[in-house]
Amino acid sequence: MRIFAVAHNTFRETVRDKVLYVLLFFAGVTVFGSKALGWISVGQDIKIVKDISLAAISVFGALIAIFVGASLVYKEIDKRTIYTIISRPMHRFEFVVGKYLGLMGLIALVTLVMGLVAGAYVLLLGGTIDVVFVTAVVLIFWELLVVTALAVLMSTVTSPILGAIIVFSLYVAGHASGILVDLPPHFENTWTETIMHVLYYIIPNLSNFNIRPEAANGVPVSMAYVGWAIVYGTVYAGMLLGVAAAAFEDKDV
Amino acid sequence: MSVEAIRTEQLTKIYRSTWGSRGRTALDHLDLCVHEGEVFGFLGQNGAGKTTTIKLLCSLLRPTAGTACVFGENSCGRRARAFLGYLPENPYFYEYLTPRETLDFYGKLHGLDARGRAREWERLSELLDLRRIGDMRVREFSKGMRQRLAFAAALVGDPPLLILDEPMSGLDPLGRRHTRELILQLRDAGKTIFFSSHVLSDVEQICDRVGILVRGKLTSQGRIDELVERRIQSVEVIAQGIPPEKVGELSADAIKTRVSEAGHHFVMSDVAAADGLVKKIHAFGGRLVEFSTIRESLEDYFMREQHRTGGAAS
Repeated sequence: MRIFAVAHNTFRETVRDKVLYVLLFFAGVTVFGSKALGWISVGQDIKIVKDISLAAISVFGALIAIFVGASLVYKEIDKRTIYTIISRPMHRFEFVVGKYLGLMGLIALVTLVMGLVAGAYVLLLGGTIDVVFVTAVVLIFWELLVVTALAVLMSTVTSPILGAIIVFSLYVAGHASGILVDLPPHFENTWTETIMHVLYYIIPNLSNFNIRPEAANGVPVSMAYVGWAIVYGTVYAGMLLGVAAAAFEDKDV
Repeated sequence: MSVEAIRTEQLTKIYRSTWGSRGRTALDHLDLCVHEGEVFGFLGQNGAGKTTTIKLLCSLLRPTAGTACVFGENSCGRRARAFLGYLPENPYFYEYLTPRETLDFYGKLHGLDARGRAREWERLSELLDLRRIGDMRVREFSKGMRQRLAFAAALVGDPPLLILDEPMSGLDPLGRRHTRELILQLRDAGKTIFFSSHVLSDVEQICDRVGILVRGKLTSQGRIDELVERRIQSVEVIAQGIPPEKVGELSADAIKTRVSEAGHHFVMSDVAAADGLVKKIHAFGGRLVEFSTIRESLEDYFMREQHRTGGAAS
């Protein structure tokens, strides 16, 4: 109950954040502007609109998670609203988990709204919405689950600006983590190769959640793969949240 | 035997910088005891460690060494916090919530069900006169309104101990008076009240016991009448109608003299000297307006302690 009280309050708080509406505006511009690129690629316009719309949901969803999430706990400490909360008979981890769930509620709503807008736009242009498109939106939500957990972790240990830079860097690196293990032959059996392999396993592999090409081209994706990606995202986000709770446990506020 | 509402043993807090240098000792081996049902005033200059102590009791800070217990429970644990209500200095709330929503939120954190939270609203809005402003957003509140809400927030769940950090800070005289009355009302209802304050006259009026903190160390604690020297320190005599040429003669034995609209003021070292002065005033055709004894106040004692321990502000 305490976790849900914090989550509910966090949702009410984050939904008032002006950054959210600025980013949603640009997400809308990107989705509707994707038709312009479709004109360049003759006969490919629906595919382009689907691809760019899904990319916009991922990128702007991540930016919302980063900008709102990276200041989530920090702001409570900075504004001292935390004093009258964690001095109550509650565990500190309940506060961290509640903040996370509240923001995830917002992210779920934002993903749903952006997904519905993108889907409606595709239908308006004469395209069709299939299971793969919906699955792609669901996996983007799971990707944002991980990004938000990273942002919440950063908000417990560092300032919002530094936290946002770190999470954004990891978001970019997480989409390109394949290059860490796809090294040229002369790196074989070197320290560099070992370090890159370690980084590959530490950095969240966000490309696991990317089925945009399949969704744009209507290529089916196996449920086993989707299930595996969901489990990966859930476990990774859970671990990050565990670290965030541990970091916050002994923090002086 | 009285129950201990608060006990700290060798409680120490050192604030360390990010790079692990030696840090600053904010609280140095504090041994403190507050009994159930008493009003305890925690005094000290800015930076003496009062807020640090309060934050340690409320588990907002973790001690570097030593322990703090609330009704026998270690303050770092969740169970200790069920016994206390905390009012921070300059309390902050979510600006977009109303008092009704704010107290409902805190009620949920105390694990109260919907009926319990509704009861708490009824009880606290009555006690703190919040009903009229119950549906206003906190962002529209004045300092006094915020303070009332902060008191209500501290009382959610009806904790037996209230920890108040500078509850009079920034309030106008009427607000301070209301706060004093509320503290006494809560004491009469059986609450233990531990509060820090700069306003020594308020502390003197409502506290059973006080503790004085100087640079992180507790220099004294006890009942005010035990700490403060109640013997007469001096006597002030005010008189009118004294012939001007006699004022110099009367002033000869006085420690201090001044003239005001009330008349000539003579501060004498003791009652005997003051008696002699009064006889002379009558002999010179003057009229006695006031005869008052001056005893040590808590403020005098506080300043004496600051000087004794080298903590006086430069």
